[in-house]
Amino acid sequence: MSKLLLIDDEKGIRKVLSISLTSDGYDVVTAENGQEGLSLFQKESVSIVMTDMKMPGLDGLEVLKRMKQINPDIEVIVFTGHGDMKSAVRALQLGASDFITKPVGDQALSIALTRAEQRLELKQRLKNYTNNLENMVKEATEEVQRRYEFEDKLIQRSIDGIVATDEEGKILVFNSGAEKIFGYTEDEAKRSKNACDLYPEEPLEKTADILSGKKETAEDVFIMEDTSVVGKNGEIVPVRFSGGILYGGDKAIGSVGFFQDLRKIKRLQQELIKSEKLAAVGQTIAGIAHSIKNILNGLKGGVYMVNDALKKSGSELGIREKQDPDVKKRPHSELITGWDMVKRNIDKVSDLVLDLLSYSKEREPGYEKCDPNEIADEVCYLMESKARDNNIVLIGDFSERVGEIYLDPAGIHRCLLDLVSNAIDACIFDPDTEKEWYVKVTTRPENEGGVAFEVIDNGCGMDDEVKNKIFSQFFSTKGARGTGLGLLVAQKIANEHGGAIHVESQLGKGTTFTVRLPGKEGENAQF
Amino acid sequence: MEKKVLIIDDDVDVRTFASSVVENSGYKPDIAKDGEEGLNKVRKEKPALIILDVLMPKESGIKMYRELKTDNQLNDIPVIVLSGIAKRTFLRSQRALAEFGGQTVPEPEAYFEKPVEPEELEAMIKKLAS
Repeated sequence: MSKLLLIDDEKGIRKVLSISLTSDGYDVVTAENGQEGLSLFQKESVSIVMTDMKMPGLDGLEVLKRMKQINPDIEVIVFTGHGDMKSAVRALQLGASDFITKPVGDQALSIALTRAEQRLELKQRLKNYTNNLENMVKEATEEVQRRYEFEDKLIQRSIDGIVATDEEGKILVFNSGAEKIFGYTEDEAKRSKNACDLYPEEPLEKTADILSGKKETAEDVFIMEDTSVVGKNGEIVPVRFSGGILYGGDKAIGSVGFFQDLRKIKRLQQELIKSEKLAAVGQTIAGIAHSIKNILNGLKGGVYMVNDALKKSGSELGIREKQDPDVKKRPHSELITGWDMVKRNIDKVSDLVLDLLSYSKEREPGYEKCDPNEIADEVCYLMESKARDNNIVLIGDFSERVGEIYLDPAGIHRCLLDLVSNAIDACIFDPDTEKEWYVKVTTRPENEGGVAFEVIDNGCGMDDEVKNKIFSQFFSTKGARGTGLGLLVAQKIANEHGGAIHVESQLGKGTTFTVRLPGKEGENAQF
Repeated sequence: MEKKVLIIDDDVDVRTFASSVVENSGYKPDIAKDGEEGLNKVRKEKPALIILDVLMPKESGIKMYRELKTDNQLNDIPVIVLSGIAKRTFLRSQRALAEFGGQTVPEPEAYFEKPVEPEELEAMIKKLAS
């Protein structure tokens, strides 16, 4: 029950009313004047106050005024003298809840108290309700915020590119997946791009028709399994596209597109096709390798014998030519030219076949402990005459700190031979005849017992386009002279050793190939 | 008397070519078309050097090589193997035969994979036949 403060200067009234109110269940405190009443009011948590109007010192109106200032919700009931309507009205104006005329009857008291109780309860309920409402708004706001953040994260974290636009095609959402696919930053896209710049053509048309109101409805989603978009630098990016119109009620309010990046998948597919092709070539070649080698042997044998015969009769022909230049010159020079053609082409077939064999499964690497410097030296020795014939200086610069290492000497020999031969060709093809051409072969020790070979030339060099293609199958810049397999074979051999070939080149300046091979210890070195 | 070099190969082109190289190296060539004929000639003629193919009809070079190297009378004649198959494959088959119960035989004095460079063959003939 509520605490009730009773203020009256008449002791008798205080006593009678206290008894009556206490028996009604109120917790009653009393004061004999306004001053005492106010100080009790401030000390005790009182919810209903009853005060007499006419008191010495602070009168009832003053008490009422001050109490309302302290707590506007307080229920104050005033006692007025019989017929004193003026002060009753004044009290009500100042916020009193009710007035009871003296002498105070039980019934009037009871009614006034009941009403006060009801008003208090109503006020409390209103207060609770307001509080609840505020809490609910706060909770709802937090929930909305949480959901927004969750959805934002969902969009941002998606691997797929997600783009959303308003009904005019202006970009509203552009996640990090979209940044990767298109190459624009989110800001760039939102500032300067439009759905037209990003969506593939077909869904773009459909989307535009609906958003502009030309068409009423469409399928819920457009899906294009295999299409492409144009990225920032004009790169054509293969994507799987799915997208649709966003509706607010019946009205189209925007569009959304999901882009799945297919670049990696496409690349893997191409690599798979390439490796299957290569495996097929390898198996075919391995199957006929023996026959091919025998035929080549026959061709080389034939060349040897004709050369032999030419050498033995050559001096005779030469002399006859000198003595009588007009008679035998033509047939003889044609014979020499034709024979050179045959020899050159046999060498070409031989190079191609040996490259193919090296690239096929037929050649199995045989690892043994050997000196890399010796292999490099041998290669330089073999290429020396070709270099000299073309006014190219061939330099060998081998580090003495390179120790013996487990490798396949025949393979590395072929690999270096290909690189040096390429380097010499790069000088031969160089249009800048002012240069003093050189090809330099170096060796140096690498970490953990490995070795690095470098083949450096100052020949014609390569542009980026050529550089990107040199390790692909059957690519050659040498026209009919190249097999298009040399570097592929060199790379395969380096890879078999667990190593790699690296190339640096500048058009017109020259090229450096670096072959790095890791060191392997022991008899059972595995590659 | 001129030293003889015996060439054993079923391919007539190889026999002709190798004969020419042998002549240019300063030796007298002799020829056989398979391992069986080859072994007979080796026993009869006692050549200074043998040039041996591997894949041949009747008796193959693999078997003939074993017979040469396990015969006390013949095993000091140097052998150049000239074949379309890789050296490793040849050695592997020799190892397999050794494990099968036979003796282990030494590696050939020289091994050339076809196609051989005539100059290299010539140099090796001169080195081994002298």
